[in-house]
Amino acid sequence: MFTELIAMAFDSLRANKFRSLLTMLGVIIGAGTLVAVLSLGNALQGQVFEQFVDLGTRRIAVTPGDPRAKGARDVPGYGLLSVQDYQVLETMVANRPDLFRAIAPEITVSTQARAGAVALQTLLVGTSAAYPQVQRTPMLYGRFLTPGDEAEGARVGVLGWLVARDLFGADKEALRNVIGQTIEVNGQPIEVVGIIGENGGPFSTDGRIFTPVSTMRLRLIGDLDLPGRGLRMSSILLGLQSEQQVNAAVALIESTLRAARNVPAGAINDFDLQTPTQALTVLAGISTAITGFIAVVAGISLVVGGIGIMNIMLVAVTERTREIGVRKALGASDGDVLGQFVMEAVALSLVGSLIGVIGAIGIVWLISAASGINTGISWIGIALALGFASAIGIGFGYYPARRAALLPPIEALRYE
Amino acid sequence: MTTEYLGRPIVELRNIRKTFPTGDGEFVALDDISLTIAEGEMVAIMGPSGSGKSTLMTLIGLLDSPTTGQYILDGIDVSRLSRQEQARIRNRKLGFVFQNFNLLPRLTAQKNVELPLVYGRVGARERAERARAALEAVGLGHKLDSLPNTLSGGQKQRVAIARALVHDPAIILADEPTGALDTRTGAEILALFRELNRDQGRTIIIVTHDPEIGRHMDRVIGLRDGRLVDNILSEYYGVEVLEEVERTRGLDPVPVARRPAGEAA
Repeated sequence: MFTELIAMAFDSLRANKFRSLLTMLGVIIGAGTLVAVLSLGNALQGQVFEQFVDLGTRRIAVTPGDPRAKGARDVPGYGLLSVQDYQVLETMVANRPDLFRAIAPEITVSTQARAGAVALQTLLVGTSAAYPQVQRTPMLYGRFLTPGDEAEGARVGVLGWLVARDLFGADKEALRNVIGQTIEVNGQPIEVVGIIGENGGPFSTDGRIFTPVSTMRLRLIGDLDLPGRGLRMSSILLGLQSEQQVNAAVALIESTLRAARNVPAGAINDFDLQTPTQALTVLAGISTAITGFIAVVAGISLVVGGIGIMNIMLVAVTERTREIGVRKALGASDGDVLGQFVMEAVALSLVGSLIGVIGAIGIVWLISAASGINTGISWIGIALALGFASAIGIGFGYYPARRAALLPPIEALRYE
Repeated sequence: MTTEYLGRPIVELRNIRKTFPTGDGEFVALDDISLTIAEGEMVAIMGPSGSGKSTLMTLIGLLDSPTTGQYILDGIDVSRLSRQEQARIRNRKLGFVFQNFNLLPRLTAQKNVELPLVYGRVGARERAERARAALEAVGLGHKLDSLPNTLSGGQKQRVAIARALVHDPAIILADEPTGALDTRTGAEILALFRELNRDQGRTIIIVTHDPEIGRHMDRVIGLRDGRLVDNILSEYYGVEVLEEVERTRGLDPVPVARRPAGEAA
């Protein structure tokens, strides 16, 4: 019987193609909106994350512990980070590519930089070529440090925006010629290989000069080692695969570092972790708000579509009163007639939402082709659209179908 | 010539009364109707407009329920059935033929004929076979895929008859089956009914106000103002014709009271 009902429903849609299409329009638009916006929303949200918040939400910074903190142990050099810690974390990162995507050191000293007659006090940061994976480095000119620079201990440096401006002036065009020039840092010459554009946010690059750790240690600053522990680190930056993994990553870093640093059970961490929790909370809030808004808009449009279906089904029941009478005379039960009309409403809304989904896929595809934004189709959106459409078909189709089902056969037959 | 089929009662009405509420009280459409129709009979229900013959037809057809009284259809008391059960009995026991054919316009002849089988939950293949057989039986084996609006009136009514036959019902109920047809086509349709009755032993009940049809029936049930009346044909034709009809059937003429000519029809 079910297959017969489906066949009847589609026969009836075919019989009134134009009207069916018009009736479906609300559902088509609703379902299409839902799928398109959810698909594009995902991609756009990703884009927003990358551009404005970027790596800040996917980064945990390990910084030295506070020796004055309550519970701090009375150990020489308490809380300081060294290259040993870095190596332990590096191994951890290599073992858990599912959680981490990069690790980079930061060895920061305050020093003097000079270009010609201009000198200024600034921060010199020794780091690795992996740094752009844990912090945004939008290059204005030139390049960032490379593994080659590190290996050679090359006398090269990358200037933050403020440093470049203070040394060479604010004219961005003129700054182009700075690439290749030599400046003095702590009295030692280095070649400027890159200038990073203006870049706010936490751990901003703006007031810094970047150079390979090896260069810093061998040629610019000299011995920065902690007694017996190797090179001292100002901070260690770990890049995460995704915002969702912050808690797992924090737990792993804590246990790894506590083990490596022999922190007794019960003692406080002798290091600090800076997590992007706050930024994430804000983002999650925005994301929920956006999703909720989209759901409400698409939902309204689907409900409006459902009302259209109900309207046209009521018309259909009146138009086809005689048909209902004939079917009943031939033995159709109330349930058969109910099923027929509900199925018709469901067919209307399901076909409508399918058209909407296909349209949305096309639109999403076009937009991603035109904009270069890599967008996936939201399967949740499709499932929502189809599921919601069936529910609407049943919900809004039931009342007209019930009216049809309860028509007394004799009155239906006599209806002119 | 039909007597060999006459047998057990298939329709038994006992003291049937049907009233409809009106603004000031009720309208009595049928009053104290008791009658029996036997299996294999071909009967006309006749009467002028407003006599209640259509109401009687809808009651026999289970399209409506009597206000009081008892209706036994093929041994089942169907007077007080639920809508669901009524629908099932309609589907199993009854085949309808309407004056205006009532074919579903979007369905082909074959699909129209399949409808009672659809509601009888018959599988698709068997449906198609039986529908084809039924259409062939009414001489429309070549019109299986035609839509109703491409068929002539007579052909439409043949499709409707095939639809009324296809599920092998106990009774075929026809409401003015020739009313929308020209005389010649009407006669053909009537002949078809007669053939079905004679060759397949179908019980056929035809509601009509056309005395010509009445003449071709085994029996005529007359109605006037909601009550059964005897010898309604005599009102149209006079006694002589009636006696002639009876004689042609090989029956003894039933003595009837003669009426003054002025009261006829």
